[in-house]
Amino acid sequence: MKKIRCLIYNFTVLCSLIVLSILPSACSKDPIREKIITPPDTTKVATYENGIFIVNEGNYNWGNASVTYLDNKDNTVIQDIFNKSNNRSLGDVAESMTISGNLGYLLINNSNRIEVVSLKDFKSVSTITGLHSPRYLEVVDSSKAYATNLQNYISVINLKTNTVSSTIQTTSWTENLIRYDRFMLVTSIGRFSEPTAVRKAQILVIDTQTDAIVDSIQSGKEPIGIVIDKKQKVWVLCSGGYDNFEAPSLLRINPELRVIEKVFTFPDPKAVPSRLCMNPTGDTIYFLMGGVYQMPVTSAALPAQPLIRPEGRLFYGLNIHPATGRIYVSDAKDYVQNGTAYQYDVTGSLVKSYTTGRIPGSFCFTKNSTK
Amino acid sequence: MVPLSKRKSLNISLLSKYAIFLLYSSGLLCFPLFTHAQNLKDTLRLPEFEFKSNFIIDNQGFKRVKMDSTLFIPNLSADLSTILSEHSSIFIKSYGNGTLATPSFRGTSAQHTQVEWNGINLNSPMLGQMDFSQVPVAQFDGLEILYGAAGISRTSGAFGGVIDLVTMPDWNNRFKAYLAQTIASFGNYVTNFNVAAGGRSFQSHTKVNYASAVNNFPYTNDFGDVVSQQNASYTAFGLSQELFWKVKDRHLFSAKIWYSRDDRNLPPTTQDDPQKIETLKDKALRGVVEYKLVESKWNLLVRSALNDQYMKYTNNVLELESVHQFYSWINRARFSYSGVRNLTIRPGVDFVYDRVNSDEYQGIKTRTTTSLFTEINYNITPKLKSSLVLRDDLIDGKFSPLIPALGVEYRPADKINLAFSANLARNYRSPTLNELYWKNSGNPDLAPETNYSIEVGSTYNFRSRNNLFYLEASLAGYYSWIYDMIVWTPIEGSGLFIPQNVSEILARGIELGLNLNGTVWGFDVGMKNNYNFCRSTYEKASSGFDNKIGKQQLYIPVNTFNTTISIERWNYYFNYNFTFTGDRFTGVENNSLMPGYNLSNIFIGKNIHIKHFILSLQIDINNLFNLDYQSIKNRPMPGINGAFTIKLAFSGTNRP
Repeated sequence: MKKIRCLIYNFTVLCSLIVLSILPSACSKDPIREKIITPPDTTKVATYENGIFIVNEGNYNWGNASVTYLDNKDNTVIQDIFNKSNNRSLGDVAESMTISGNLGYLLINNSNRIEVVSLKDFKSVSTITGLHSPRYLEVVDSSKAYATNLQNYISVINLKTNTVSSTIQTTSWTENLIRYDRFMLVTSIGRFSEPTAVRKAQILVIDTQTDAIVDSIQSGKEPIGIVIDKKQKVWVLCSGGYDNFEAPSLLRINPELRVIEKVFTFPDPKAVPSRLCMNPTGDTIYFLMGGVYQMPVTSAALPAQPLIRPEGRLFYGLNIHPATGRIYVSDAKDYVQNGTAYQYDVTGSLVKSYTTGRIPGSFCFTKNSTK
Repeated sequence: MVPLSKRKSLNISLLSKYAIFLLYSSGLLCFPLFTHAQNLKDTLRLPEFEFKSNFIIDNQGFKRVKMDSTLFIPNLSADLSTILSEHSSIFIKSYGNGTLATPSFRGTSAQHTQVEWNGINLNSPMLGQMDFSQVPVAQFDGLEILYGAAGISRTSGAFGGVIDLVTMPDWNNRFKAYLAQTIASFGNYVTNFNVAAGGRSFQSHTKVNYASAVNNFPYTNDFGDVVSQQNASYTAFGLSQELFWKVKDRHLFSAKIWYSRDDRNLPPTTQDDPQKIETLKDKALRGVVEYKLVESKWNLLVRSALNDQYMKYTNNVLELESVHQFYSWINRARFSYSGVRNLTIRPGVDFVYDRVNSDEYQGIKTRTTTSLFTEINYNITPKLKSSLVLRDDLIDGKFSPLIPALGVEYRPADKINLAFSANLARNYRSPTLNELYWKNSGNPDLAPETNYSIEVGSTYNFRSRNNLFYLEASLAGYYSWIYDMIVWTPIEGSGLFIPQNVSEILARGIELGLNLNGTVWGFDVGMKNNYNFCRSTYEKASSGFDNKIGKQQLYIPVNTFNTTISIERWNYYFNYNFTFTGDRFTGVENNSLMPGYNLSNIFIGKNIHIKHFILSLQIDINNLFNLDYQSIKNRPMPGINGAFTIKLAFSGTNRP
């Protein structure tokens, strides 16, 4: 009986001890939010005016988009600079970044907003709302820009007030865009709710003075990339459809006559090219298709071999430095860890690599970026 | 029937209830005959102390844990995810209040936990997993967790384990009923109605549940503003009807039907555009008919079930509307023979036919699975018992490799209720239909995932002779490899994700359980604790540039702990639940994490007995210390919130 009493006593004491030990720890008032352990990042940069921004998409619905900054002056890499300067997340799926003057425009696809930041300190200047899954932004002039949406309209952005001033109605979703003369050429990929067979694929020609669609050019399915070469020819890359509906193709378009002059059809419908880029001299095209491919604009055929082989990496973003012509390509790895960005010279030899955030998708260079 | 020798070998200084309990859980076949002995009056009363073990080493060497009605009664308005995260060692990954909740059991993925309701697998054949927030507690009477290889006796592919939801008749009942209404914070309401009627040979049980929630709880967003959760409302309705018919204690017929309908808005993340509206509508109809025959030396069980589910997902931003419909026809036959001394043989066959009509598949897809099953229990000595389980699946005419599991159990002493167990198993998980057939990315060439596991464990329980104190403890350690794990992998240059057999996982851990019950100065005091240590790491990299080897899997905590303290007297009852969830990594390279957190919930209630009626009033306070937390990044969780429940039960006509 004594033993039992002893047990009961111990039991009671134990219960009270546990309750007492739990209560103080349970009273913690700090909000429980994600913590970054490594890399410990204590770098301080005065401005973000001379360098390269790597826009990390982040995982869909995880809200972990970020911007990595490569500083040209002291060769530092700084992670998640938006969060650092603004003490909040950039948002969900950062698609692209465009610079106009001293401001950066970050298109946050799944948050349906554009974050406008000052390049001086990356502090948020304004948040533009009223978009629908924004994709890319192209500047018309110092007061106006167009932003494409996964919706049947293009948003006209007033860069003075940082608001959506009007919309241009389209018949389907729009993707990439480039300025040619007084026109904006916008690729239109159709609505993804429709089967690929009926999805419209065209290049819309918009008069930037009237914001009116004045013409359109039919293209291969899913035109996702558009660049202009030194002879003012427009090159359009068509993926052929996310479901491999048709073979991917690369088109050369005469923007004056608005006709397709040349079609390069890719041989393997399962190998899908993406991220069409032009070098600063306008004579060489680059794109991703597993590896990084390089193609002179005068070439009679598509390149057979990549310039840079992936060697197990998952190349996801690509851009060419507007001053040096160097190749910047990113490895998204398995999408659930931080990526890596690589800098290659034009011959395809590795210069440098950088750790990035989650799913590095695009590069944006400051005007006076020299490296 | 369980061999007599087994009963003798038990230390019967325990209450007979404990023995009955062990017997109940030791066989699929025998339980309805023993349930009349089990005191189920409490299904309509509030918790009274039942001295029975919750930790079971059974099937000779496999771990099981049982939760019973005493736990469910004060949690009638809860769902399965709440019960398990507060009271078991299974980690539940919750995307928010009343929204998607998926399990991670012993460091595995959601597809590796199978949920059964009366022998029907509830996991969708499309997704291979189950949303635990959609299973209301009010729809079942008991729950059993089969850990790791214990699940092989039910199904293949449950590397984590099986959660078995059961409903059972009370043959002593004539008529009982209750009506309960819960009014909770954020415009959440739950109504439950339950009526059971019948006699010694026939019982009918009807359960109705209805929940509606606005669920617009306030939270602090990134800008530091307090805002309301958007688009998180839901309604859920469930109706079940069960009939049990017993003839001469030998034949048992049952027919059960369960209809449920969920209409949910899926709440956005804190980073989403609040204009985004995602909805999910689910309708499910499950029916099962069953016959059991019990003879002195052999038993027979035959069961046929139909599971018909409809799901519709919409997303206004992507202009998406996608409809999925599937039927599963599930059949099971089990025979049990114990005519030879020390030996029981249980052969069986399962036949499952799945038919899916999905907007995301190209055409209708079907799958036929025939499983051959045998379980052999052999008592080497009265103290040392062994069990061999063999299963083989024949999927669409193709044999999968043999699934074997071997367990042993050793009870060293007659007077001390201590048992040691060990088991060893190989298991396979066949790809889900989504993994095989999803439009443009399904991979019909997928191989099954393979799992090798070993486990050792021990249980102990002790009861004081005056019945005033009871202790039970359980310890288990496991080591489990998963090869060829299917992961949706981005394909170079295509922008597509395609499921591939690319990953390898090593999960190992320790589970500790300690339950104490006692009567102190007239107060009935109980305490239940679970601690779980789990390292679940990636063992294969996708390339030389991938640095995830040896890193903890995403969103699986290494440490979890929960404790529940309950106190009862004068028809008042009080309950305190504490849950600690350890750090969870948000990237596979383990560079970022969601910090661990402690949550405390309490409830206090009073039962008022008025003749045959019991009126119960209960107040719940959840997140007692108003912790501002996120379990998953950018998924807000509610701060302190409460609920009030009033329940009127009628239970007067039980036979003595």
